[in-house]
Amino acid sequence: MLSIMPNIEDKTRPRISGLSRGARILRGLSLVIPATVLALMFLTAIFADLAWIGLPDVGLSPYHPNDQVLKERRLPPAFIEGGSTEHLLGTDNLGRDVLSRVIHGARVSLSVSLLVIFITATIGTILGITAGYLGGRIEGFIMRVVDVALSFPGLILALLLATIIGPGYMTVVIALSALGWAGYARLTRGESLRIRQSDFVAQARVNGASTSRIMLRHIFPNVLNSLIVIMTLAVGMMILAESMLSYLGIGISAPTASWGSMVADGRNDLDRAWWISTFPGIAIGAVVMSGNFLGDWIRDKMDPRLRQL
Amino acid sequence: MTRFIIIRLLQAVVAIIGIAVMVFFLVRAAGDPLELLKNPNMTEGQYEAMKVRLGLDKSYGEQFIVYMGDLAQGDLGTSLLKQRPVIDMIKESLPNTLKLTLPAFAIGMTLALALGVLAATRRDTFWDQGVKFMAILGQALPGFWVAIMAVLVFAVYWQILPVAGMATPAHYVLPVGTMVFFTLPGMMRLVRSSMLDVLESEYVKLARIKGLPEKTVIWKHALRNALITPLTTLGLIIPGLVLGAVITETIFNWPGMGRMIVEATFARDFTVVQAITILTAVMVLGINLLVDISYAYVDPQIRYEKS
Repeated sequence: MLSIMPNIEDKTRPRISGLSRGARILRGLSLVIPATVLALMFLTAIFADLAWIGLPDVGLSPYHPNDQVLKERRLPPAFIEGGSTEHLLGTDNLGRDVLSRVIHGARVSLSVSLLVIFITATIGTILGITAGYLGGRIEGFIMRVVDVALSFPGLILALLLATIIGPGYMTVVIALSALGWAGYARLTRGESLRIRQSDFVAQARVNGASTSRIMLRHIFPNVLNSLIVIMTLAVGMMILAESMLSYLGIGISAPTASWGSMVADGRNDLDRAWWISTFPGIAIGAVVMSGNFLGDWIRDKMDPRLRQL
Repeated sequence: MTRFIIIRLLQAVVAIIGIAVMVFFLVRAAGDPLELLKNPNMTEGQYEAMKVRLGLDKSYGEQFIVYMGDLAQGDLGTSLLKQRPVIDMIKESLPNTLKLTLPAFAIGMTLALALGVLAATRRDTFWDQGVKFMAILGQALPGFWVAIMAVLVFAVYWQILPVAGMATPAHYVLPVGTMVFFTLPGMMRLVRSSMLDVLESEYVKLARIKGLPEKTVIWKHALRNALITPLTTLGLIIPGLVLGAVITETIFNWPGMGRMIVEATFARDFTVVQAITILTAVMVLGINLLVDISYAYVDPQIRYEKS
């Protein structure tokens, strides 16, 4: 995975019982605020414009994200001197509305991360359950590949892929999926090893259930909880990874708005238009942090054992 | 023990060969590098000569044998674009990368230890919450954006630090700071949680009962044992360091390996990207191997067993 650091967690459980009233309110807020931010992002991505029902001009985004008005380049945001409410977050070096681009950028971040999580979780779970349930040489082989994939720098692989197939949406998805499945494989293998020993699996085997049926009907439902936790925690990581690839120019290519490439767009204008790089970065930080908080919360509710991961 | 080392070593070699083979075919699948080098003014003879010079007139099978043979001798090939051996280019850029990575690693580790221990020994206090908050923030904000914001504040607004160049120590502050940002939050959380575990152990209680000063208990008894967990995850930090190097060098125009691979990517200089990929794989597997071996020495429960 293209994580900056593996999601290392504190093993200790929080001391909930003795919390003061203020701390309890804070705890509540740590669920409400992230959930709100993520819900807003979700809605923003969907309703940025209604092109998907044939209404490209209706939507949350005040302008089309790629419309260039060269006369209105580098207009400052509304709340500082020289800005106007026409462009709440100002305009960029090509006269495009920064707010509209931030709104449309939510689409890229969300769709890439959901797509990658779906692909990696599927592949990883199939391989993990196979390794854990079958054992033997197959397990040995799969787990060696997992070890390599876990320690291989994903960025290098992404750069290699970008030279080969060129930058673009699919390059990002492939690059993030190519190593990302390994984490899921390791998790589901561990769980399957444990479930394999249980009585209901033995019983299913005695009753003549086929190997594939046992894996699908008996093992898979029991790893689902942990799987959901890890998938939620991955949302933030994938958004961060996508933004970084787009920042480097090997991800979503111009003119499509992506938060990472927007930060890169503003790089050369720092001395005269700080807002171009600043706002998309705040969007990334807010969404990723919300994702991580929500993931932590779901983990504590569904599967506290995973704190040890 | 010897058996354990030999088997792990063989596994690492197999993995490297696997990666080299994968890279070879991926690059070939991408298309003919000659298309990129072809020049409309070239005569048929010059084109053929170039083909022979680059060894591309041979069949894939022969090319593969030459490629693996060269690799085995440590020959990483010649840059298609610059027409110089990749190894020479690496010799120039690697020291520059190390000038960033090593100080950043040292500073990051020191800070992670200090802050991790601070948080663990003052659990649930203001200090602990502060460290936890910093770690959460650090893991959520994109490193490239933080670096750009640092440039905005320190170089554009206050104008107290230079952005490009590597002449004076001041030139190192922003790049090294960016690199530290990439590894510190994760390390800090790891030291904290591992320290919390150790502080509740029997031998720390015993040391306290013996009446040892708290300083000795924490820094000598607890920390030494708390360090084992972060040590084993050293291998997992490498992707973070590589990532940090690539991002930092592109932002600050630092002439290191990270910038080299990004430039080679955009120039579609296959041999350079291929060489750096293989080199990185060797480095990662090598460090993981060392970590495994040192861990096996420290912890006698870990031995290679045939499963």
